Amino acid sequence: MPGMNTGLNVSDPTIVEAFKTALLHQGLIALLIFLVVGLTWLSLRAWLPLPAATKTTTPAVPEPAWRQLLRYGSGVLWVFDGILQAQPKMAVGLPSQVIQPTAASSPHWVQTVVNWAGTAWSYHPMQAGAAAVWIQVGIGVWLLAGARGPLSRLAGVVSVCWGLLVWVFGEAFGGIFAPGLTWLFGAPGAVLIYCAAGALIALPERAWRSRLPGQITMTGLGVFLIGMAVLQAWPGRGFWQGTASGQPGTLASMTASMAPTPQPHVFTALINAFTTFDEAYGWAVNLFAVIALAAAGAAFLTLRPRLIRPVLAGFILLCLADWILIEDFGFFGGLGTDPNSMIPFALLAAAGYLAVAGARAPDPAVVPAGAETAPPRAGISWQRLRETASLRALASANISSVAGVGAIGLIILGAAPMAAAQANPVADTILAQAIDGSAAPLHYRAAGFTLTDQHGNAVTLTSLRGKVVLLTFLDPVCTSDCPLEAQEFRQAGQLLGAADRHVELVAVVANPVDYQLGYTQAFDRQEGLTGVPNWLYLTGSLAQLRAVWRNYGVAADIEPAGAMIGHSEIAFAIDKAGRVRTELNFNPGPGTAATKSSFAAELANAARQQLGHS
Amino acid sequence: MTRAGRGIASAAWLAALVMTAAGCGTAAPARSPSTVPTVPPVALNTSLATAAGTWATVVMGGSAAQYNNFWQLFLRPAGSAQWKLVTPPGTADNGGLVVAGGTGQPLITAFRPSQDLTYTPLTQTSNGGRTWSALSPLDAALAGTPDSLAAQPGTGGLLALLATGTAEQADAAGTRWATLASARTLAATAAGRSCGLRALTAVTYTPAGAPLLAGACTQPGVVGIFAAAGTTWLTAGPVLTGALARQPITVLRLSTTGDQITALLTAGTGRHAVVLAAWSTDGGAKWTLSSPLATGGHQIVAASFGPDQTAAVVTAGGRGAALSAGKWQQLPALPAGSAALVPGTDGRTEVLAVHRGTLTVWQVTSSSGSWAKAQLINVPIQYGSSG
Repeated sequence: MPGMNTGLNVSDPTIVEAFKTALLHQGLIALLIFLVVGLTWLSLRAWLPLPAATKTTTPAVPEPAWRQLLRYGSGVLWVFDGILQAQPKMAVGLPSQVIQPTAASSPHWVQTVVNWAGTAWSYHPMQAGAAAVWIQVGIGVWLLAGARGPLSRLAGVVSVCWGLLVWVFGEAFGGIFAPGLTWLFGAPGAVLIYCAAGALIALPERAWRSRLPGQITMTGLGVFLIGMAVLQAWPGRGFWQGTASGQPGTLASMTASMAPTPQPHVFTALINAFTTFDEAYGWAVNLFAVIALAAAGAAFLTLRPRLIRPVLAGFILLCLADWILIEDFGFFGGLGTDPNSMIPFALLAAAGYLAVAGARAPDPAVVPAGAETAPPRAGISWQRLRETASLRALASANISSVAGVGAIGLIILGAAPMAAAQANPVADTILAQAIDGSAAPLHYRAAGFTLTDQHGNAVTLTSLRGKVVLLTFLDPVCTSDCPLEAQEFRQAGQLLGAADRHVELVAVVANPVDYQLGYTQAFDRQEGLTGVPNWLYLTGSLAQLRAVWRNYGVAADIEPAGAMIGHSEIAFAIDKAGRVRTELNFNPGPGTAATKSSFAAELANAARQQLGHS
Repeated sequence: MTRAGRGIASAAWLAALVMTAAGCGTAAPARSPSTVPTVPPVALNTSLATAAGTWATVVMGGSAAQYNNFWQLFLRPAGSAQWKLVTPPGTADNGGLVVAGGTGQPLITAFRPSQDLTYTPLTQTSNGGRTWSALSPLDAALAGTPDSLAAQPGTGGLLALLATGTAEQADAAGTRWATLASARTLAATAAGRSCGLRALTAVTYTPAGAPLLAGACTQPGVVGIFAAAGTTWLTAGPVLTGALARQPITVLRLSTTGDQITALLTAGTGRHAVVLAAWSTDGGAKWTLSSPLATGGHQIVAASFGPDQTAAVVTAGGRGAALSAGKWQQLPALPAGSAALVPGTDGRTEVLAVHRGTLTVWQVTSSSGSWAKAQLINVPIQYGSSG
């Protein structure tokens, strides 16, 4: 998956600082959103008489317990996931350290799909990272706030939609297409459980009093768990062996891989202890897992509350044990995106039980009489919106609905910049700045030179007057950085579009051994630069080159024992009048697609600035 | 939902889930191995005797995967017992060094490309590596075999075998390269068909300056050495007889020094494979063969030619053998890290052993029977400079 990795350190201080700043700015905007919505609501309530209809509201159906559980549970989980997304390493680390490894063992088509999104993220890590925070916090707050009404149901729908996006692109379809699939380690992906919960939350109110949600939930869970039991029992997958040929078995390998995660020592000790136990009693551990999954699944399928209740208690205990001993909580280490699948599973199973156990909502007649005369506490309904002016509807909304509206604002706050960024195929310059620092503004006359271009023609700096010159120094036999830098120059020219004809892309040879014309020509052919009309690769005699290197502060040192020439990696933007206006450190870093694009954007920006000034 | 309906739905879900999961949980079947025949490569670790002395190339440093492997060129000047580091400067050589030179000619070194470099820089020295001057580069990747570059006696023209299997020839200035033949076009000639040519492995010039190409044949007993004849090619290798005539032959090495062409051949495959050398002093018309050396199924990992029809090979497993007076002699177990053998004329053989940045020269004579440490050179490897 070549495009997904920026190649930068996940803790790169420039990126981390920029991410924190972006979150802080957007956090202030988020506060402002809530403030504006709240003040508007309070003002409307003070100035507008409440609609008469709300004073004689029809008795409302209370939200059933199973839905409350799902709504609050999912809301808290989304908020928690959003907070996890705000960890400093997330902006750069999520694509390369989380998504890419997750997808690595999946089929190629899965990797291709995942790579598309991962690449987009790696090109715009600030926007993507911040968007994930606000969208998830927004969905969580929305779910927590909206007890009923279309907005509440819409929160469920949004939870499903975002969950599916995360499941496909963030979890590589929860790893269901990869070998080694097991419920014990999180199959079919935590976010898919969020989606199931969201779908149940989105059910219309008439379904609240039906047993259907419970039946669907418990039947689905039952079938799934029995399927997972069969898969767990399937021979040849390594789960029956604690060790094989002296190596840990499949489950022990998985848990052992979790142990190094930075976390409190006690949790490391717990997971190590379980790994040791599984290595010793792998067969028994797997037998227990198979029986437990099959028994839970079978009990859920009966839809008999009396049978489900004790099994549910055991299932929740199993989930907790798995969460601690096998999944290792899922959120430690600075790159954890969620608390993994066991908490959502327990939540879904408990909600399903409540739904089938007849914890149905009381009939409207059972609602206390006082509720009819209570102050309006209904959500915003479409009907009311149609019946009254929208401002009146807002004024009559309860505080939960207002919070829901604020949460929608949060989601828009994250989604809008992310969508705008994804539409831009050029990487953010923050990546280049993280590698080399910011460009330095300068203002001095560029030292003149007379050199020979790749066609054998003499070129002077004076002859380039009237054009902005992007100047760098490249070793034609360099094996790593210089080819990247040349590509970044070429890409910068492409980014300039029509303005490219006012810019000259110039490189001077930086090698005191291989500086002959044949080398600049071979380099141009290698990099596909022969057809770039404004590309000049200049060389000359060694004396001429040394003079240019000296004037521009460029070192080109011969290193011993088969090493490359050690030369400065630097670029200058020279304005149309021949003055050096910008100096960029030009070490291309890891040379990933994202960083190349970022450097190209930085170069193009430097040229545009000079085009604008002239 | 009725109880029966629920049961049917549950069963359907379960079946679908198990089938999907079982399918997904099973690793995809491994790809069947490629049927394209390949020729086992001989490493670029080698030595070469010229009038200036004996040259040796070995790879040193660290991991090749991290581009911390750097190829080094050493010279033991004629008349000296001491080796010295003469690696040409200015170019990263992680891709490998290939040297070519003959008596009275400059030594030419090619830097095989690595990482993002795709063409082959060339440089030469006429003073034993004290100074180097760049030649026009070869605008393609050189093949990774020790005889992929040859210098034409007298003219300075160059012959190169590319990684693509094409042989190209340059004029004396080295600025204009032209295709001489490719494995495909050569295989289509009468000589190529009689050989069943499957790959080219080496190029050289005859002492008279005619190009020779060598490769691996599938037809038993045919040695794939080809000489240009107008617009076509003729077989120019030795004729093998007896048991060797029933074996497929691969030319591992082909080199010209002075008026002598030397070839190193493998006959047969697996445990029954043998190695033998062949010499010609009349441009390939007549050849003299050495005795065969049984490899015991071990791959030849490095091979060197010395003066006066001497040669030496390193086999996988840390064993080596030296050829002198037409007969092979097994050498004592090679020291750890042995990279290249340097055959000598006085019954003395040297081996260059490498451990990261340290080169140790060991010597053995026919009378001593064990390796003795002769010299130690510390090379200032620039770790991380190519990564």
